[in-house]
Amino acid sequence: MVVPLISLILLCPLAAFAVFGLSGLVNRRFPRQDYLSTVAMLAALVCSFLLLREVVPSPESHTVKWISLGGVTFSMGFYLDSVTVIMLIVVTLVSSLVHIFSMGYMHGDPRYPRFFAYLSLFSFSMLFLVVSDNLLGIYIGWELVGLCSYLLIGFWFEKDSAANACKKAFLTTRVGDVGMFIGMMMLFTKFQTLSLYGEGGIFALAANLNTGDMVWLSIAGILIFCGAIGKSAQMPLHTWLPDAMEGPTPVSALIHAATMVAAGVYLTARMFPILTETSSLVIAYVGGITALVAATIAIVRFDIKRVLAYSTISQLGYMMLAIGAGSYVAGLFHLTTHAFFKALLFLGSGSVIHAFHAMHAHGHDDEHDHAHEHSDHDAHGHEHGEDPDSRHILGSEIPADQDMRNMGGLRHKMPITFITMLIATLSISGVPFIFSGFWSKDAILGGVLGRAMEWNSVHHYILFIMALSAAGITAFYMFRLVFMTFFGEPRNQEMYDMAHESPKSMTVPLLILAVLSLPVVNILWFNESYVKPPPQPHLHAPQHAYVSPDSNTDKKGYTVSLFGVSEAVAAEEEGGHDTHGAHGDDGHHGHGPAHTIAMVLSICVAGLGIFLSWLFYHRRTLSAESVATTFRPIHNLFWRKYYFDEFYDGVLVALTVWKARLFAQFDGSVVDGIVNGVGVVTRDILAAFTGAFDNRVVDGLVNRVAQVTWAVGGKIRRIQTGAIQTYLFVVLAGIVLLILIFRAL
Amino acid sequence: MLLSLMIFIPLLGMVAVLLLPRESEELIKRVALLFTLIPLALAVYLFISYDRSNGGTQYAVNAPWIPAFNIQYHIGIDGLSVTLLLLTALLGPICVIASWRNIEKGIKAYMALFLLLETGMIGFFAALDLFLFYVFFELTLLPMYFLIGVWGGPRREYAAIKFFLYTLFGSVLMLVAMIAVYLNSGDPGARTFDIPTLITLAATAGHALNDLNFQIWVFLGFFIGFAVKVPIFPFHTWLPDAHVEAPTAISVILAGILLKMGTYGLVRINMAMFPQGLDHFTNGVGFWGNSLALLGFINIVYGSFCALAQTDFKKLVAYSSIGHMGFVILGLAARNDSGITGAILQMFNHGVISAMLFLLVGVLYDRAHHREINGFGGLGTRMPIYTGITTLAFMASLGLPGLSGFVGEALSLLGAYDKFKLLTILSTIGIVVGAAYFLWTLQRVFLGTLNPKYEALPEINGREILTLVPLGILTIVLGVWPNFAIDMFRESVTNLIDVIQAI
Repeated sequence: MVVPLISLILLCPLAAFAVFGLSGLVNRRFPRQDYLSTVAMLAALVCSFLLLREVVPSPESHTVKWISLGGVTFSMGFYLDSVTVIMLIVVTLVSSLVHIFSMGYMHGDPRYPRFFAYLSLFSFSMLFLVVSDNLLGIYIGWELVGLCSYLLIGFWFEKDSAANACKKAFLTTRVGDVGMFIGMMMLFTKFQTLSLYGEGGIFALAANLNTGDMVWLSIAGILIFCGAIGKSAQMPLHTWLPDAMEGPTPVSALIHAATMVAAGVYLTARMFPILTETSSLVIAYVGGITALVAATIAIVRFDIKRVLAYSTISQLGYMMLAIGAGSYVAGLFHLTTHAFFKALLFLGSGSVIHAFHAMHAHGHDDEHDHAHEHSDHDAHGHEHGEDPDSRHILGSEIPADQDMRNMGGLRHKMPITFITMLIATLSISGVPFIFSGFWSKDAILGGVLGRAMEWNSVHHYILFIMALSAAGITAFYMFRLVFMTFFGEPRNQEMYDMAHESPKSMTVPLLILAVLSLPVVNILWFNESYVKPPPQPHLHAPQHAYVSPDSNTDKKGYTVSLFGVSEAVAAEEEGGHDTHGAHGDDGHHGHGPAHTIAMVLSICVAGLGIFLSWLFYHRRTLSAESVATTFRPIHNLFWRKYYFDEFYDGVLVALTVWKARLFAQFDGSVVDGIVNGVGVVTRDILAAFTGAFDNRVVDGLVNRVAQVTWAVGGKIRRIQTGAIQTYLFVVLAGIVLLILIFRAL
Repeated sequence: MLLSLMIFIPLLGMVAVLLLPRESEELIKRVALLFTLIPLALAVYLFISYDRSNGGTQYAVNAPWIPAFNIQYHIGIDGLSVTLLLLTALLGPICVIASWRNIEKGIKAYMALFLLLETGMIGFFAALDLFLFYVFFELTLLPMYFLIGVWGGPRREYAAIKFFLYTLFGSVLMLVAMIAVYLNSGDPGARTFDIPTLITLAATAGHALNDLNFQIWVFLGFFIGFAVKVPIFPFHTWLPDAHVEAPTAISVILAGILLKMGTYGLVRINMAMFPQGLDHFTNGVGFWGNSLALLGFINIVYGSFCALAQTDFKKLVAYSSIGHMGFVILGLAARNDSGITGAILQMFNHGVISAMLFLLVGVLYDRAHHREINGFGGLGTRMPIYTGITTLAFMASLGLPGLSGFVGEALSLLGAYDKFKLLTILSTIGIVVGAAYFLWTLQRVFLGTLNPKYEALPEINGREILTLVPLGILTIVLGVWPNFAIDMFRESVTNLIDVIQAI
């Protein structure tokens, strides 16, 4: 059953795209691309759920030869374990909802069918990446995801800002991809394979490496992780993601929740078995720094979509941190919960934008009703006509319908959007017990603290503090978003009056996602006996650790066995151990004090963040403006996003273009200059010494060829078009004559 | 016999075209098309019937030609040549169709020269006698000279002469090396130009050809001859000029086939015949041991950066060719399974992809009458199909997985990393820069608001689509299923590696 199911999952979206591509070529569009794509995605979703049952016994893989050379073979195939299935379900579920949402949101766009075709291709690429059992396959899916994000971010390519953003996304991620490719070259040269699993796979072979190879393995691991830095928008390659908001909002939801950015976390998780102490620590720090820095940037943004963008970066940092700190299951669990609540947040913000756009469309006919973001931005660009990049940096020109300073009080107008977004916000902020984000975030915090205590490692204490601060800041800025958007008095009465709740095709996906943001749903299938971290043979606790070196954290604990694990599955897995279910009602601690401490602290910082947010943005007893004035330099740093864009545009891009011009000039003047010089000199010398030259050439054969060539060439140059056929007859006759003469010899 | 037919049918076509009255242009074009379609049919037949499990020479014909010098009419194909023959035969009719409307004067002479060119190219890939090989090599030069010099752009004469002299300079050195090989191949009377024989002799211990110093020098002689064709830095400056001036179809042939003649020669002669010379330049020890890989690296990075700076669409594609041929050199320098296979794949794929790119540039040029990248903008709204096909070609060229360009590039790099770690890592810069110049071009030409000047630009027409579709299909098929091509030359590559490793 597994092979046909996986094939179906891949083929359905691919076929939907193929129909579009082929029908485009003959200039006769398939009439209902939207239904086709959506149905294909739903079919993939159903197949994914069917796989849920298949995977329980043991991982399964299936490969076919893809490239076979004399000595080496590259295979393509899939590897199906619990993580694959979870990812498949997350991707297909979110993607399906995004498809449905888009039917309302994108309705009437001039390129409406194309949008769905791209969504299909995007989903296919992501699914291909997820099921691949080897690095080459992952890389292929990886790059295709990059292509699709390029196409979708630049969907409204008439906008210069969108055209810039899509290019930036592709190029920035490609920098990371090159690192990943170098890592692949290292692994391939060492192991002569790019397959990951099985006896001849990289994991098995890497497990046998001795300590002398650890530096090498660390470097390889970090290089592979470079790919994830690009795709998952980690520091310092994160700058493409906020700009990617230029794409239609459903795309933002898909990219930032389920597909592209999740790919990086997924890859890092898949590489878990070859992570060494060094590479793990690098990953954890990159994640930790990203989580913290992105959160601080999010505090000062006014564009509702950009707040969410930075929050995505920050949450991805969280997941990386978790994996780097050894909390494999927690990282993946957060990936799952985040996928749902972040998709919800983006679609919710889309719903808000949609509500406002209707204002612009008021009185127009249905056609104009939809390309709202589109036309809106267009008008914007024309009005101001300045460099879109500087606009982003300064944040001074936010589209009116995305500017939170124009919102306020919308909860009365859009109750469903409000409630669902509030649920997502509570979830991401880590409000305890009934929201999924709390559990996954807490699993990470507990895992990091657990490792810190276990290993007595300063690094991990630092990482824990970073994660904890980021959690507090997250709660703060997310509630800032909610307060500014839905509470208080309307700031822009005209826009407020026009706002309205979105149609059913949009609110239904919101409601579904809201349900998915409740923990109980996730727990049904995401539990510790279902997802098991693979061993990390090259990760050892440091010498001074309290515990024996081989005790990997996260073996069974910490994570998510709350509200009682599905007993059947758990029991089947490990008869004797009682870490599940038993600690039923209050959740998942029970593994030392780390989790209790982490949980208490995380509730405290979340509470503090929300409370401060309430003071600033609801009660207004504190003034954000005055704080910003007091801490002007810090505010500037956040506001200018730590000057990353300035550095890249002003230094790196400029340097590259300068270098290109230099090369081209060198080519034109120096290299070609020498060539032309030699040409002139040779011509003069030849003219003077033609006779002498002839006699010195190696033998008569050369003489003849050179003479004929020169003579013919010289004469023919003067002959213009009309006479060419004469020449051709001569050549032909010559050839025939030569053949005859030589035959006679 | 089949092979001889394939070589000489275009020549026959040339005669036929020349016999037709100048006024009946449509008929001339149809006849030309017919005489390029026949070799295509034959090439497809050869491609199908070629025995893949045997990498040796097949369909060989060996007849005495100039007995006085022991020169044979020896032709035959192995996996590598059959692959490139297919490419040549495929581009033939495509170029004829592409020339259907935009050659305004002298269509008769144009088609005749084109058919002569095709004979030269097909003969070159089939020749197994060094002399014959050289004759065909030179035979492509003359028609190319006229095709650029007569039907080219404003600076056509400069470009044509530059192309001609450059190549001639290279081929003179090649000729010297060839004669040196001939003179050393045996006692007077037993000398030979026969390539398989020479390969055996060069591998025979104690033979004059089996001498390191000798091999190094003749390797260099041949190498420079081929390097001009590839082109390898610093012998590349004829290429941008020739491309910019040449008419569309001729650019297609130039990038698609003529460049491959250089790399094909490297494989067929330099690598197979002079493995000791090859070892000297690719063993990874010291400067000379890294020199070939270094040239590959320079091509990649230098070509990519130069492309990034171009504002002429066609020149940009021309420089991108230099960069992409660098991957071929790098892969060949690795001289292992993945490196050589990658290089050969890259040869074929670059032939297909660059042909697409030049055709696409031609489509735009025919409409707007200029190629200034910055002079366009927003064409994506006006010409969606054209934009779609261009995006496909760009993505294939910048090495997007799933399309053919990726496989060749990736295999070349994987193979090269084994030997030249630093150079290979540095070469990956080309991957990023390659993406940069293509995406930047895509943005400047197709994205953004539509340039009002081009509000009425007509969409790509059926004839143009017809030239692009087969190539587009090939890029997808070979990207998804590379074994389709690799099957053809896997055994030949294994044989080649055996020869190389036998030293």
